[in-house]
Amino acid sequence: MTEEQKPSASKVVDGLKLGQLGQEVVVPAGARIVTQGESPEFFYVIQAGRVKVFRETADGIRTDLTELAMGTYFGEVALVTGQPRTASVEAVEESRLIKVSKEEFDHLLDHNPQLARHIINQLSQWLVVGDRRLESEVVHQVKLRQVSWFDYVLMIGLSIILALVVNIYNDNRIPLIHDWGVKNDVPLISLGQAQELYKQNQAILVDARKSAFFNQEHIKGASNLPLILFDLMYPLFQFTVEQTQGAKDKTIIVYGGTFSRRFDLELARLLKHKGMQKVVALQDYRGWPKAFPLGGQAPKEAASLPLGLPGYVEWVPVGIFLLILIPPIRRSPYLAVVGRVILGFIFISFALSKIMRPAVFALNVVDYGMMPSWGVNLWALVLPWAELVVGLFLILGIRTRAAATLIGAMNIIFIVGLVDAIFHHLPINCGCVGEVGEPVNWWKVTKNVGMLVMCIQIFLYDRFLVLDRGGFILRDRKI
Amino acid sequence: MKKDFLKLAAVLGLIMVCLVLGGCGESRSPFAGKYRSVEPFAGKSHVDLDLKADGKGTWTHAGKSTDFTWMVNEGRIWIYTKTGAIVIVSPGNGGNLLSADMTADWHPGCPPSSCVVFRRVPEGG
Repeated sequence: MTEEQKPSASKVVDGLKLGQLGQEVVVPAGARIVTQGESPEFFYVIQAGRVKVFRETADGIRTDLTELAMGTYFGEVALVTGQPRTASVEAVEESRLIKVSKEEFDHLLDHNPQLARHIINQLSQWLVVGDRRLESEVVHQVKLRQVSWFDYVLMIGLSIILALVVNIYNDNRIPLIHDWGVKNDVPLISLGQAQELYKQNQAILVDARKSAFFNQEHIKGASNLPLILFDLMYPLFQFTVEQTQGAKDKTIIVYGGTFSRRFDLELARLLKHKGMQKVVALQDYRGWPKAFPLGGQAPKEAASLPLGLPGYVEWVPVGIFLLILIPPIRRSPYLAVVGRVILGFIFISFALSKIMRPAVFALNVVDYGMMPSWGVNLWALVLPWAELVVGLFLILGIRTRAAATLIGAMNIIFIVGLVDAIFHHLPINCGCVGEVGEPVNWWKVTKNVGMLVMCIQIFLYDRFLVLDRGGFILRDRKI
Repeated sequence: MKKDFLKLAAVLGLIMVCLVLGGCGESRSPFAGKYRSVEPFAGKSHVDLDLKADGKGTWTHAGKSTDFTWMVNEGRIWIYTKTGAIVIVSPGNGGNLLSADMTADWHPGCPPSSCVVFRRVPEGG
């Protein structure tokens, strides 16, 4: 009942000869007067006090419809329609009511056209207001469920801007594209020529990759000078070369380039700048395992440091994955809220462990060997920021469906990378949380699958505690 | 529109708080100081390691210095080179001995072939 309707209702009620009808009852505050779904028996007129009209769904979601005060009435809808009560009514404070039976109410309507007209008018008004509310709620729900391109542009755009701006001011900044515009002045040698020199013992072979890759597989007799430790390890390499018999006449052949980074060319350039003569790199940088005799140890899992709290929290999605197998829980919006908080925490932890040192994360990306070299630094700069922004959006309840989609997409990429690394026995760490953190194994894949399932659950069923178009939505939403 | 700005401000504020909290490591002071390798490195001179309290440091060998940054995490020293490598250094003997794992990975026990051991140089020494 709207505010403007109250005076007219009051006038109508004042016009009734209430003393001749019904019986007076006093209800204490909090007492239920009418219960939704019950058969209607009485019509009520409020003489003093206030009552609240509300509806409640089977799963306990309550919608407050209105509050009525002195001079107004309720209970007429069910009596007129003959249907069960459409809403419940309870006293907000101690109230005095006139309780009119159905027979008396029918008699009243028959002999009081003014009241009958008013009730018809009232019901029509409610119908119109109800339609508007319904439309507004439908529009709201549709907007809430909508995922627009703007959501993705907002999150990805914000991540890119933050990544680029912070990189400018970061002491550990990296170029957007590694080795962009660097001209290769290193002579290349074919596999056949390199084999010939190797057979004649006229070559010093140098592996430019990280020591874990070298230890797993390398050209027999090669030495390892990891490019990433060049400044620290070059003296040792120099010493080794000086101790090699006839080193001055030998060609230094650098190998170890990958799809994601040409370690070989970079190391060869550095060796030349140090004054070393006859430095070349392999032309077919991926062909050496088939062309040379190999040494190395059987593949084994890379050593890793414990991760602490984020490492344990990552197991929660696996537990939730099992919960999701139970259908009523699967559809629970509360589970979606829990999932958002957990995923948000995990992804923010992921991000913070690598965000300020993009060079370290770039090397993790290189380890997987799946990203072309031009994309490695861009990915290493933007991904941690995307994890942070999307994680915060999930926790704050902003654009949660789009955020869940993005985290799901990241998880799919991670799963593909992990499975590829497992099948190729890469001696690497995950690079997901922490810098020298988790090993790559099927447990890690399981955790990522758990997170992916949580993303799907959030996408489908999240609707509470969201700060989205149309305002903040709590569980007990007042319409 | 105003609501959108508030949302954006909330997100940016939280990002800044996260960054500040995430950037706080353990105290560096127990390990700050000068160290020298126990053995000569690469058949030449000893390596001098200078860990400054502000998180910067230098590795000096055969007259050539290389700058890096460092932090303490779970009782270990993490040395970050400009190239992105991490050298994990495990302290021993009450912080007087440092074992640097030169594989750019971490291995339990520091592999002997890739391990450089440093001893703290007494102040003024």
